Amino acid sequence: MEIAELMASPLNLAVIVKLEPDFSEGSVSYNSDGTLNRAETKSILGPHSAIASAAAFYAKVKYGAVISVATMGPPIADTALQQAQLVSDADSLHLYSDRIFSGADTLATAEVLKTGIKKMEVTGKMDIVFSGHRASDGETGQTGPQTAWKLGHTFLGNVISYDVDIEKRILTAKRLITLQGTPDVIEEIEAPLPVFITVDPSYRSVFNTVSLRLASVKYQKEAEQRAQNYKNYLKTFNAQQLEVDPKFVGLPGSPTIVYKVERIPKARASRSAEVIHGSDQQQLRRVAEKINEIVGRVVNP
Amino acid sequence: MAASTVQPDPRTVMPMRENSTNSANESEGSYRHLYVVVEHDDSKPIPVTLEMLGEARRLMDIFNARYSSNEKVVAVVLGINIKKLCEELVYYGADAVICVENPNLRYPINLIDTKVISQVARDKVCVSKVSPEYREEFKKPRYMFFSADNIGRHLSATVLAELESGLASDINKLVIEDLEIKHEHKTKGQLVKYEKTLEMYRPDFSGFLWTTILCLDNRNPVIQREYHPQACSIIPGVFAPLQRDPARTGIIVDFSPELDQADKAVKVLNRQVTKSPVDFDSHKAIISFGRGIKDSPEDNMKLILELANELNAEIGVSLPISKKPYSVREPVSSLYMNSDRVIGTSGRKVAPAVYVAIGVSGAMQHIAGMKESGFVIAINADENSPIKDECDIFIRGRMEEVLPILIEELKKQKQVMEVHK
Repeated sequence: MEIAELMASPLNLAVIVKLEPDFSEGSVSYNSDGTLNRAETKSILGPHSAIASAAAFYAKVKYGAVISVATMGPPIADTALQQAQLVSDADSLHLYSDRIFSGADTLATAEVLKTGIKKMEVTGKMDIVFSGHRASDGETGQTGPQTAWKLGHTFLGNVISYDVDIEKRILTAKRLITLQGTPDVIEEIEAPLPVFITVDPSYRSVFNTVSLRLASVKYQKEAEQRAQNYKNYLKTFNAQQLEVDPKFVGLPGSPTIVYKVERIPKARASRSAEVIHGSDQQQLRRVAEKINEIVGRVVNP
Repeated sequence: MAASTVQPDPRTVMPMRENSTNSANESEGSYRHLYVVVEHDDSKPIPVTLEMLGEARRLMDIFNARYSSNEKVVAVVLGINIKKLCEELVYYGADAVICVENPNLRYPINLIDTKVISQVARDKVCVSKVSPEYREEFKKPRYMFFSADNIGRHLSATVLAELESGLASDINKLVIEDLEIKHEHKTKGQLVKYEKTLEMYRPDFSGFLWTTILCLDNRNPVIQREYHPQACSIIPGVFAPLQRDPARTGIIVDFSPELDQADKAVKVLNRQVTKSPVDFDSHKAIISFGRGIKDSPEDNMKLILELANELNAEIGVSLPISKKPYSVREPVSSLYMNSDRVIGTSGRKVAPAVYVAIGVSGAMQHIAGMKESGFVIAINADENSPIKDECDIFIRGRMEEVLPILIEELKKQKQVMEVHK
């Protein structure tokens, strides 16, 4: 991507994505004890990363934004970038790959991603950075907000829709807030750019005019062509090229360690079940009666 | 990422309990107390707040007895009109409450809250009122708790990024221990004693494995770094709150935050209560399904929907199903295989009159979300599934065979009922 192109863009976006185990049938493999068999399970662009890519695509269609997608991972993580390009029509792909990054916890991962995004910022701050809600394997949901904080972007989580006032450089977003013991709330919030968004799983882009729908089709076609030749858009950075401080990445930069992994002990039985054979129609009739009795469909023969 | 690693890394961890320890290298002099970041709904504490305080109280009582110290449970509250709430928090176990009352804190806004909580965490004046004896050496809290929900999950991440320390998410068991650690990076391969270490237990996504996360200072001479507080986010609904006790006493400390003018540009414009299309609360029956549908997902889903329709039941799923592991036609796939319907610690907690678990193995995370149901029926081909210990009737069999019979019986009985009306 040329600097002139970036200067001309009304909005510069980055998406951070992750290569994750593919939990779909035929790809996922479980050990006999119910745990994930990582060696046998295929990897894909994480589903939440795909939603984040779709959210960035919305701004491409609506505002003509320029999009860069980034990931930290082994060399094969470039497939996640390719899949994200297919969704977002990304203009450039960035892979941060170095042995010294491995074993990183969320803080050390955020350090790499922050440094990478800073490197993209040739014309001032990246306007909006997107990430998924959480990874489907780690499920911490921490890397996004920690990257946001290190970048100095205002963090908005659980975003279900957003729009940008390009003139005023203000973003308005709707966020879904669900807290235990309280009704769900949809909050409308505004924040000056730059902003960092994690996208709620319920996010859907709406292209509600003919011209937006046409633009969306045009960019989708472009995305398909680009993704076929994704290596032309790909830049790979190792630790030295990224100019990260080795003390702050990988294992040395991780405050946390995994101390032990154990099987969760079986809890004491809280109920004692009556066992019924599934082909015993008489018994199942009794089960049906019991259900009817409880839910109030009282049967009085 | 450490928190997502399933197998222990053989290079890194070797717990040992021998006395061949290196120098204790105690750098813990600067860290004191357990800070609990409170969440409330219009100055009413939400349940997880009281649960966190309960667990904090239990841990610090043991801690103080064991180490002959006097470290406190310090609740941190942000908002408006929160004086009464602060008193309540004392009744539920806090020794001290840091009360940050400010019109800009009416609703949680991550940017502002992160700054305020980080200011509180570093503030010596607050600590001098809470515990004058620790005033001089205090740098940051020793431990910090947040709730693992839509607010606390993100807030914990940004606060700990600001405080530059470690965080474990979605914790459901906590222990404080003195540990001897040998670690390639943390200790440069030497055996080093870490006192007062918070063991943070985190169930993995399968619900079958427990990963213990530690947040440890780097005592490696080449990369010395202090990592405090040791922080975590706590799964709602796991720990028991204390009984409210108005005789309990504590100190309430007011704190005035410093806010930048620029931060005030982030504004909540509107808030509206919304109803999830998934309604677990007003249905008498909930039917949930899990990976047991795998042999013929499409047909099994049909049977499950038919049963749900017959019973006017809401439909829930186990966590793996929300990842859409099977190809099922639209819109069934989007409607039912999604995270809104997950029952368990990563989703909703339900308590219907009847809970029917179909092809659900019963991972601990799922059980936590349904154990308060009235009557539980499980349909499962495997009698060794953990769900058997959590149900009242266990129907052993394949759902493909059991469901048609059960549905037929329910329909017959309905006809009988209608004839008699």
